[in-house]
Amino acid sequence: MIASPSSFGRTSRAVALLGLLLVPLLAFAASGFKVEFKDPKGDDFGPGTYKYPTDPVYARGSFDLRSVEIRENDDTVEFRVTVGAQIADPWNSKDWDGNGFSLQFAQIYIDTDHQKGSGFTEPLPGLGGAAFKAEEAWDKVVLISPQGRTRLEAEVRFKAPKMKGAVVLPKKTTARGKTLVAVVKKSDLGTPKAGWGFQVVMQSNEGYPDKKDILTRRVNEVAGQHRFGGGNDAECDPHVIDILAGTGKGGADEVAAQKATLAYTCGSKVATLPMVYAGR
Amino acid sequence: MALRRRTAGAFALWTLCVALIPLGASADISRFDLGARIYTKHLYANNDSQGTLWLGNPFWPDQIAGSNGVSSQLEITLTGRVSDAVSAGARIASRYGERWQDYWESGNRMYGEEVNTSGDSVGMNRAAYLKLRGPWIQLDPGLRAIDWVRIGASDLGMFNPWTIGKLRYIDRDNGKGYFVAGSIGEDRDVQWVAAAIALPKLWVGPWWSTGLGDPELTNPFWSRDWAYAASLRWAIREGTQLRLVASITQDLEVDSADPDAVGSTNPGCQDALGHPIPGCSSDHAVDLYMRYVATNATAELQQDLGDTVRAEAMVAVSDQRIDSSLTANGVALNQGVSPIVYKDTRDIAVRVRVTASDPFENGLTLKGEYFNIGAEYNAIFGARREADVLLTDGFLGGGQLPTLNLANEFIDFGETWVESCIGWHGGTGLLTWDNEGGDLRLEAEYTFLTFNTNRQNRNVDTVFPDFLHSDGYTDTMLYDYANVGDRGRDPRSVYRRNQWRRSQIAVFRGRKQLELGRGLNIDWKFKYIHDEDYRSTTTTGDDYLGRILQSRLQIGVPVAPGVNLAIGGTVDRWFEQNRRGTLELGYGDDTTERETGFVTASYQYGGLRAAWMLEYVHKLQRREREGDQRWSVWRSKATFEVAW
Repeated sequence: MIASPSSFGRTSRAVALLGLLLVPLLAFAASGFKVEFKDPKGDDFGPGTYKYPTDPVYARGSFDLRSVEIRENDDTVEFRVTVGAQIADPWNSKDWDGNGFSLQFAQIYIDTDHQKGSGFTEPLPGLGGAAFKAEEAWDKVVLISPQGRTRLEAEVRFKAPKMKGAVVLPKKTTARGKTLVAVVKKSDLGTPKAGWGFQVVMQSNEGYPDKKDILTRRVNEVAGQHRFGGGNDAECDPHVIDILAGTGKGGADEVAAQKATLAYTCGSKVATLPMVYAGR
Repeated sequence: MALRRRTAGAFALWTLCVALIPLGASADISRFDLGARIYTKHLYANNDSQGTLWLGNPFWPDQIAGSNGVSSQLEITLTGRVSDAVSAGARIASRYGERWQDYWESGNRMYGEEVNTSGDSVGMNRAAYLKLRGPWIQLDPGLRAIDWVRIGASDLGMFNPWTIGKLRYIDRDNGKGYFVAGSIGEDRDVQWVAAAIALPKLWVGPWWSTGLGDPELTNPFWSRDWAYAASLRWAIREGTQLRLVASITQDLEVDSADPDAVGSTNPGCQDALGHPIPGCSSDHAVDLYMRYVATNATAELQQDLGDTVRAEAMVAVSDQRIDSSLTANGVALNQGVSPIVYKDTRDIAVRVRVTASDPFENGLTLKGEYFNIGAEYNAIFGARREADVLLTDGFLGGGQLPTLNLANEFIDFGETWVESCIGWHGGTGLLTWDNEGGDLRLEAEYTFLTFNTNRQNRNVDTVFPDFLHSDGYTDTMLYDYANVGDRGRDPRSVYRRNQWRRSQIAVFRGRKQLELGRGLNIDWKFKYIHDEDYRSTTTTGDDYLGRILQSRLQIGVPVAPGVNLAIGGTVDRWFEQNRRGTLELGYGDDTTERETGFVTASYQYGGLRAAWMLEYVHKLQRREREGDQRWSVWRSKATFEVAW
């Protein structure tokens, strides 16, 4: 059928009207903050020496951070952390009020003001010997854990009481394919914007952590069935498996950057957790 | 003078030792971990059973089960590094089952078997003695191809439920064997594990044992029974993985005709008339025969199709050989309760699964699965519970496992059940949708099932175990092994004499979070099962139709940091035409009405984890051919756990 002039006119008006309706929607969608950081493949070895636990549930790539996406919605902020393997639930998290996965534990540290002396330079307990620079001190941390909210609240309250006000627990945490998805309330986190700094620390969920650690799995000198290896038993090593490094674009140079920043010497040099700033 | 010199020398030596001790101790402590856990459980119900375990073992008259009491368990875990190459560990745990009221018990049964006032009368199950569990030594031999060698305990989690399954939690590291693991390639693209595993003398084999208790054997011999297994995982490329697993389980028994065997039928190698038996001579060595051997293997390919879609295909094969002269017929002699089909078998299973995780970025995740499990597939050493091989919620809402060796025992009310999926053939579609705000999740499942076990005139007298009770929808809330309460089909009962069955399962569940106070979670689940079985195709008089409706609602509130409260209930209705009976005696149309109400609380603070549940169950079973039955059950369970 060939459109008649009159029907063409009606179509044009309809398209125009639709356009008028869509423009504000598109403008609204475009106005929300969104940022994505990438991380190189195969650098899930902390400062370069770490090995996975020997139990087969720790599938290769499970802690290999590939990307993190932060997007603003109406009243919430969504974090998507993607790793190098399908996210599995070998320990049946539903049995312990969990979130549908078992192995991973991602901590997203956020510097909202980039002010020296504002925030914390020590991470949450359980990351071994690691610290942020004073000018990159974190103000908020989002915990993406398979553990239910009750357990997380109890752990933070008891093991990090001074930091509990800075800990943001998602209203929902779930796993989809290779991606962990956490939705947090803006009222808890604030509205993200350019200039905020982010650091994603990949760790493993430990249901029976050390008395000082918040649900993290330790790194020992020798890998065990449920212990990472390649670190130091004296706990001066950073208990982090993968982080964002460099500019967070996923370049090969970021492997070396990660090794350099996580390098440590017991008794003299503490590993540094760098912030990667959005919009810079 | 000499004495003084010796004293001075001893003092110097003592001083040196004192000076060195802190150094030595410091080095040792950094290589040594000591962990402990205390678990206390409180179980009460409005009945007169005594014990702290709701459902015990179905076989022997145990002292373990009972619904009134409080028990505690202590567990000590030791791990240490002997050197850079060797580490070792063990767990020491007290026997669970001593009620707080039993604290005199030493385990010594005095004055015979009767319960008496000596305080030493109820045996070791009430003595809370410490037992060695889970000792292991692990070696990194420093070889390029071998990552580690483990000698001793393991949870056997390196294989899969179709071959050798991970041990259930209560057995966790009781399995023992020799394990070697290695890898090939710079990126460890190929990882492998090989193992020789000591067969547990109970459970893995005909008659639920590797000979023990088998009436066909006069001298059951289980100390040389082993399983052998290997697993290979090959990351072919990013997103593509092949996994191969194989296991052989073998049970050896003594040749009772061997003149060197204990209790030999030919001790002097002479027949009844005193003539020499040809070929019979003593060589002080005993011949062994294979009583039972089972082989299971799987090949599984996983392929990522982009970032959001994954396809998985698995083929499994199961083979069983039995020597009927060395194993009694558990089907015929044990009322059809047997973990094996009493004959040589071979069968396969296929499973194909596709998962699309939020492919449209709108929160919708789709899963589809096709499965076809042979009627005689059986993983005798497979996972017994706490695992699940199919997507579907199934009939019972727990896991499905391809074995007759399920272990719905040593559990409390409220725990999930597993059911055997041997013979299942069908497909499942599962849709999950999460809204953008993260406060709503909806999930819908549809499963269509037919059964490879459908057959007429199946021999359930001497070959196929029917577990005695194969009719009616299973009530896991009010289960009893002897079936005195008409609790329906045994979850292991996959074979019927006459069956032509097909079933449909539909589930809709969801969770909504509301911004009230500290947040309020509403969880719901609705389920409908349409279960048809024409049974004998020669008549319509026995046709079964089960229409099972289940609904559950729970509202949970975090009332304070670390404190959760929830309240909820279930309403279930089962309408079953020809629920159970025989063609000769007729069948009855029965209706079951079951309602529950429950309150749960959990508290976590400073390393203490506590949980409590109070439940009321009302059940009314209206039966056409027999009298109606009613249950009015109150029960509660509380647990307190610390680990340090």
